[in-house]
Amino acid sequence: MNNMLRTWIKDGLWAIVFAAVVAAVIRFVVGLGAGSGLNDATPWGMWIAFKLGFVALAGGGFTLAAVVYIFHLERFRPILRRAILMALLGYGSFIVSLIFDLGLPWHIYMPIISWQHHSVMFEIAWCVMLYFSVLVLEFSPVILEHPLFKHKFFQVILHGLHKAILPLVILGIVLSTLHQSSLGALFLIMPHRVHPLWYSPWLPYLFFTSAIAAGMMALVVEGFLVERWFKRGMHFDLLERLGAWVPLPLGLYLLLRLSDLFLRGVLPGALDGSWQSILFLTEILVCGILPIGLLAIKKVRESREGLLTSAILIIAGILSQRMSLSMFAMRQSTGLDYSPSLAETLIAFGIPAAALLIYLFFAENLALLGDEIPNPQATAKLRPLWMFSQDTPGRIIFARRSGLATFAIALILPAMLNLPISDTSANAVQPAIGWETLRIDGNQTGYIVDFPHVEHQERLTEQLGSKESACATCHHLNYPDDEATSCSQCHTDYYQPISIFNHTVHQKSLGGNVSCVECHETEHVRQSAAICQDCHETMTAQEGESVFNPFASSYKDALHRRCLNCHEQKAVELDKPELALCSTCHTYYESDQLQTNLP
Amino acid sequence: MKQAAILVDVTRCTGCNKCVDACVNANQLGDPKHIPQQESDGLSVHRWLAITESPEGSFVRKSCRHCLSAACVSACPVEAMYRSPEGIVLYDQDKCMGCRYCMMACPFGIPRYEWDSAMPVVGKCFLCNERLSEGKLPACVETCPEQVLTFGERSDLLAIAHERIAKFPQKYLPTVFGEFEAGGTALLYISDVSLDFLGFNGATGDEPYPELTWNWLEKFPVVSLGTATLATGLFWIIGRRMQAKLAQQQTNQTPEEK
Repeated sequence: MNNMLRTWIKDGLWAIVFAAVVAAVIRFVVGLGAGSGLNDATPWGMWIAFKLGFVALAGGGFTLAAVVYIFHLERFRPILRRAILMALLGYGSFIVSLIFDLGLPWHIYMPIISWQHHSVMFEIAWCVMLYFSVLVLEFSPVILEHPLFKHKFFQVILHGLHKAILPLVILGIVLSTLHQSSLGALFLIMPHRVHPLWYSPWLPYLFFTSAIAAGMMALVVEGFLVERWFKRGMHFDLLERLGAWVPLPLGLYLLLRLSDLFLRGVLPGALDGSWQSILFLTEILVCGILPIGLLAIKKVRESREGLLTSAILIIAGILSQRMSLSMFAMRQSTGLDYSPSLAETLIAFGIPAAALLIYLFFAENLALLGDEIPNPQATAKLRPLWMFSQDTPGRIIFARRSGLATFAIALILPAMLNLPISDTSANAVQPAIGWETLRIDGNQTGYIVDFPHVEHQERLTEQLGSKESACATCHHLNYPDDEATSCSQCHTDYYQPISIFNHTVHQKSLGGNVSCVECHETEHVRQSAAICQDCHETMTAQEGESVFNPFASSYKDALHRRCLNCHEQKAVELDKPELALCSTCHTYYESDQLQTNLP
Repeated sequence: MKQAAILVDVTRCTGCNKCVDACVNANQLGDPKHIPQQESDGLSVHRWLAITESPEGSFVRKSCRHCLSAACVSACPVEAMYRSPEGIVLYDQDKCMGCRYCMMACPFGIPRYEWDSAMPVVGKCFLCNERLSEGKLPACVETCPEQVLTFGERSDLLAIAHERIAKFPQKYLPTVFGEFEAGGTALLYISDVSLDFLGFNGATGDEPYPELTWNWLEKFPVVSLGTATLATGLFWIIGRRMQAKLAQQQTNQTPEEK
């Protein structure tokens, strides 16, 4: 790998980080809804999936610590420091990612003061907090060995850390065990959300075993990358040993997972041909059983290609398990779709990009890679993080970085302006049931009439004087199991507007047969009757209407009015006369039956 | 009151949405006609109660079920979701971190989030806790013109529910929905149609959800102590063996060197 390529890769990482910073600002200014694709149906998304991935890849930290300190396998010490750093960066990424994911990140300290030990999340919060501190302590000797910290004060701390390393390692192992498995336990409470092929009551054990495997294999891939980048520090013999051991945790994970699915009778679902089942089979066969087989062959394991391929397959399988469980195959509460937004994706990738840059910074400046060649650049002071090569002038670096930053902002800002800002008025479609319009399928034929509920309410309230009596006009509950009066009780005639004046009711309420004179001065005919407004003061006849209101329009007119007015208007406006034709909604051969093309 | 509860008689509901209106007004959730886009079942952070339609077309109330052993309460890491002495599941936004685990855990998919805010909170029905303390009925119960809703002690309401079912067996399904689901809920339903659709992805099982994670969490002391003991033990045993081996090698080597 030449210097040019290194510079470009670093520039690329920086560009992602810059873009992520812009996205982060957006997320905090506009809130989670506009800053991410998350919604009520999918409250957890990409960030959680990535977090699970970070922590799985960090599993090498406690595994290697156990190998070196507990099992006394001193020959693995050369790759111990980078394993600890990987864990540190993995957990650091988890915490940073959490800050974006939390709705109220400034309450992140709450688990310290408000204990709720029935919550897995609570245990995770504490484990992450403690384990991150342990990792910082475990890693700090690497930093304190740098000549920059040669002051006696630091040397005393360094000495103390060396003394305390064994309790720290044991504490780290305990916390990791708890935390890795608790991340799986997080999903135990949501069997309704997790896809059956990924759900298991044994999720804690699956997460623990697979984290060991993923952590070991991450060290293998890291070894290859480090060699490519620094042209040293690979320790192939040690990585080959990791490759020889990994079938143990990985096989245990696969065995537990498959046997649980088999025992609970879910396994046949893996053969139903859905994309989930294909993903599941790939995870198990291609990314599980195949690499175990490959690593079992000594010749393959001892070849660089064989080891690297197996490692990548295993990591891919375990990351796929984490992400499928928490994102791809997760089921939603309502029909709302989830797709990560641009800002969300940038943040998700920006965090590991930053972690990689920090890794490079440490590797360039500190005795990290564990080989005997002293780092020639680790002299009196630490090279700043933003520099990519010792001999590049500062102004060139500055120009490059600021150019990248400008580019990132220019690229992201327009995207931000297009973000869906929630608009209270932009909701043209009314729900199926509810406020203004009820959908009524009176004949239960699947053909639905939109019933303007609010319009009826308002008109009847005005006519009858009170809201209660308006409701009671239709919802009177005087029949057994009555729910609502059917439309045809008012709109009795299919073709003619009809008076819904109820003579009998008036007669009875005014005193029976002696009450005729209350309204009829002379003959007992309609023409001689008093107008409604004489008694009902709020009832006024509209222009062109009979004084004997209220009139209900004909059934046919009522139905047509729901659509036709607007159709006719639009036909003129848009110059599309076909919109107002009968055949737009009615098919000609069934003219006597309402046959609509509308849903 | 040991366990406040509401009985919903689905057969009486006309879907007039007056309860929703009352809920919005009582809890000051903003314009009742404002329907945020992020919803498809009617619930949102501005709408804690919704009338949904069953697959058969019946109107069914959807709101927080106030589970007797609530998944959200057990999931919350900071006690922001908690149960009041009356058995109402309440929320304290001063403690909430916004991790949304409660939303993920709820087997009915009820809690909603204020996605469009930079300082978001969780929204769900609190059974008009404040009105109750003033001696009033929950707003929805007070408003319902059809007597769909009955408020009271859960055991009393269960008795009423079973009585109604026994009296009109042809009208109701022989189940009180919410009597056992998810360990029992404070919202009880009697209905002529199956209400399994209210559960998330099919019917909700009867087992209390918090047990799913507690089964693991209660192992914590054993796991942590076990791991610590195992690690220390292995360190000690392997260390001793290696020392012994080293010593043996040295004793073996010494004569040769002589």
